[in-house]
Amino acid sequence: MHTHERTSISSILKTALLGLLGLTVGVLIFVAGLGLGVAISGGFEQNGTSIVEPLAPPAADTEQNRPSGVDTALMNDVLRRLRSQWYGDMPSSDKLTDGALRGMVASLGDPFTAYIEPRYAKILEEDASGTFEGIGATLRQISGGGVQIVRTFEGAPAQKGGVLPGDMIEAVNGTPVNGLSTYEVAALVRGPKGTTVTLTLRRADIPKPFDITVVRDRINIPLVTGKMVGNGQIAYVSLFDFSAQASAQLTNQLRELLKQNPKGLILDLRDNPGGLLSQALEVGDLFLKDGVFIIQRDSKGNEERKSTTNRGIAQDIPMVVLVNGASASAAEVLAGAIQDYERAKVIGEQTFGKGSVQLPQTLSNGGQLRITIQRWYTPKNRAIHEVGIKPDYAVPMSVEDEAKGRDPQLDAAVDYLLLGKEPAPTPFPTVSPRP
Amino acid sequence: MLNSRRLFLILMLLSWSALLFGAGWIARGQLAPRVVPQVMTLPTDYRLLDEVWSRVQESFIGQVPSDTVRNYGAIRGMLATLNDRWTIFVEPQPRAIQRDHLRGQFGGIGVDIRIDEAGRILLTPRRNSPAERAGIQAGDILIGVDGTAITEGMSFEDVAARVRGEVGTLVRITVRRGEQTLEFSITRALIEIPSVEWRVIEGNQAGEATLGYISIRQFTERTGAEARQAIAELREAGSQGYLIDLRDNSGGLLNAAVETASQFLSGGNVLIERKRSPSGEITVTHAVISGGLAQLQPLVVLVNANTASAAEIVAGALQDYNRAPLIGEKTFGKGSVQLVFDFSDGSSAHITAAKWLTPKGRAIDGVGLTPDIEAPRLPHEAQPSVDSQLERAVKALRARLHTNLAP
Repeated sequence: MHTHERTSISSILKTALLGLLGLTVGVLIFVAGLGLGVAISGGFEQNGTSIVEPLAPPAADTEQNRPSGVDTALMNDVLRRLRSQWYGDMPSSDKLTDGALRGMVASLGDPFTAYIEPRYAKILEEDASGTFEGIGATLRQISGGGVQIVRTFEGAPAQKGGVLPGDMIEAVNGTPVNGLSTYEVAALVRGPKGTTVTLTLRRADIPKPFDITVVRDRINIPLVTGKMVGNGQIAYVSLFDFSAQASAQLTNQLRELLKQNPKGLILDLRDNPGGLLSQALEVGDLFLKDGVFIIQRDSKGNEERKSTTNRGIAQDIPMVVLVNGASASAAEVLAGAIQDYERAKVIGEQTFGKGSVQLPQTLSNGGQLRITIQRWYTPKNRAIHEVGIKPDYAVPMSVEDEAKGRDPQLDAAVDYLLLGKEPAPTPFPTVSPRP
Repeated sequence: MLNSRRLFLILMLLSWSALLFGAGWIARGQLAPRVVPQVMTLPTDYRLLDEVWSRVQESFIGQVPSDTVRNYGAIRGMLATLNDRWTIFVEPQPRAIQRDHLRGQFGGIGVDIRIDEAGRILLTPRRNSPAERAGIQAGDILIGVDGTAITEGMSFEDVAARVRGEVGTLVRITVRRGEQTLEFSITRALIEIPSVEWRVIEGNQAGEATLGYISIRQFTERTGAEARQAIAELREAGSQGYLIDLRDNSGGLLNAAVETASQFLSGGNVLIERKRSPSGEITVTHAVISGGLAQLQPLVVLVNANTASAAEIVAGALQDYNRAPLIGEKTFGKGSVQLVFDFSDGSSAHITAAKWLTPKGRAIDGVGLTPDIEAPRLPHEAQPSVDSQLERAVKALRARLHTNLAP
């Protein structure tokens, strides 16, 4: 018993000593493992092969998870690899941030929700004063990337310089527009009257991008034009856009023409990019009786309806509305309501399909965020956004027609009103606008 | 008694050593990020991201995508600022499929997945595969995997990633066959994706030599070994020269290209890499690995406009050393090397980390390799039976064989 105890104590001592030795050896082996691990992986960053398998899992737990849902751990991981391996110069952190915001906004899949870099946001703000100096063209975002010329205005610098609808913009004054939104491209294109801007364009039938330089000018296009057509029997009015004077000027023009007792009326909304919704409502009120004009819905399911009254000056005259692929936004709202109430036949091409409202917000870096906050629906609850208005009679207009000064769409409208002749069915173009 | 105790202690020590070694090994990985100086943390910029994130969440009218989708979008956007089409972010599922391909094998059930115009997922079981043995028939429409509905419009990666999994695990496959809905429980097996195919080209006339045809589709982990096997078998069958077909080979692993090129070269480099380091640009050479199986036999290489990257490394080295003429079309011209970094969620970043030059220092990026013998693919060759480029290559190889044997 006694002896046993003694052996026990000495054995404890021995074990303790051995343990200490073991610990020392253990630490040494730990360091050896660490060293060998580092050596085999070729330093702390691997290199050499075109495919490198994972290093250790990212230290996700050391970076706090942000309540917003931004995964800073993953982003830091990517940036870290870039820093150590990228064969090139690292962009500035501002540029990377701009890229991240663009990419995040793009993941929403809505071409109208956009992030605008601070420098372009600044130009846009200065421009909001209302001076309309530029080249006289409208732009649109192509899903999948790129900004395209939708329309060039008659006699404006772009058209005189040879810019055609359908041209894709590659660069403005040497700045590539790859990845930029239409807002930003517009900011680059606009500028004071008399200055020049060089567009690098890509066109379907020309193999290489080419440059066109134009002198910016004040774009002066009449808001409303009117005339009698069809041997003086049909009143024709066209509306350039839905800016603040649209309804007032159109009313005056219409009054003049109605004095001539036309048999029919043509409202031309082709190439009309939209504008103020309140103006669309007032214009609608000229032609429609009382009823819902538009339904607006937001992300929380709130619904707002706007209605016309029964005081229009042209509620009964036979009517045709002309539209095309560049008829957008407020123009589509008007065409859609007129179509829903069967007030007029809609003739032309499928409209653009932009039935939404963007709220511009200034960010803390001076950039701008435009978020689509509302969508528009016609009185019969048809979605306009991404769908557009399908004409009752599809009548295409080719580049050749335009070049030769022909207007088959207007001709079809006149024939319909005068002779009741329905336009021949044509294969419906799936892609708007005109090539 | 003392002996057994000592034994116990030794065993303890050994197992501790192993554990500590492992811990050290793992710790080196944990250390890595901290050792890299100045890890990017951009509090201000992340605050800006927070700002945009929450504003979108608050008022965007459409369906707001998941956090994951938005984060991936942001990373894609960051990488886009580099203006390099090869530096990309790859989401977990496509990355898993790519990894399978580069490994040359994966756990699966052996079905080919095809998406028809209507977006339906059609299955075709491979011969003797687990899928065939379980009773899957060609034309079955896949509608569920492990209880998850497979819907029209899903991508190939999306579907394949669900069907694949670890070898030995079970997967429940639901298909529609006509009016019936059928369910199969299938154990995943190892499915091989060979990267090299080879066959003998016999001489037509008396006295014509037997040739070896080696087609390399991609450079994967198994390509080096398969190339060796191909040469060995073709040599056994009496081949006196080799024809390497690199047409439509989009590349793959750099090491596989080095191994493959080394089969046909007796020395020198396969390629030269230029990288960046904190002290400036550095050069890394990749020497020919000795022991190649066909260092001297007559050789020709078929290339076309889709021959890219790792395939251009092989073709470029063989051309530089006058080892083989290139026959066909000008190649793609991808002269950069990407490192792939996998992240814990299965996604990965492919980062251009080097440009490469041929052993004699030719830069091919955006230029491509010009064939020694131009042989465009003729437009009438829609039917697969006609291959004028191959015929041209066979002719060239026979000519080389002839001059080789003549003296």
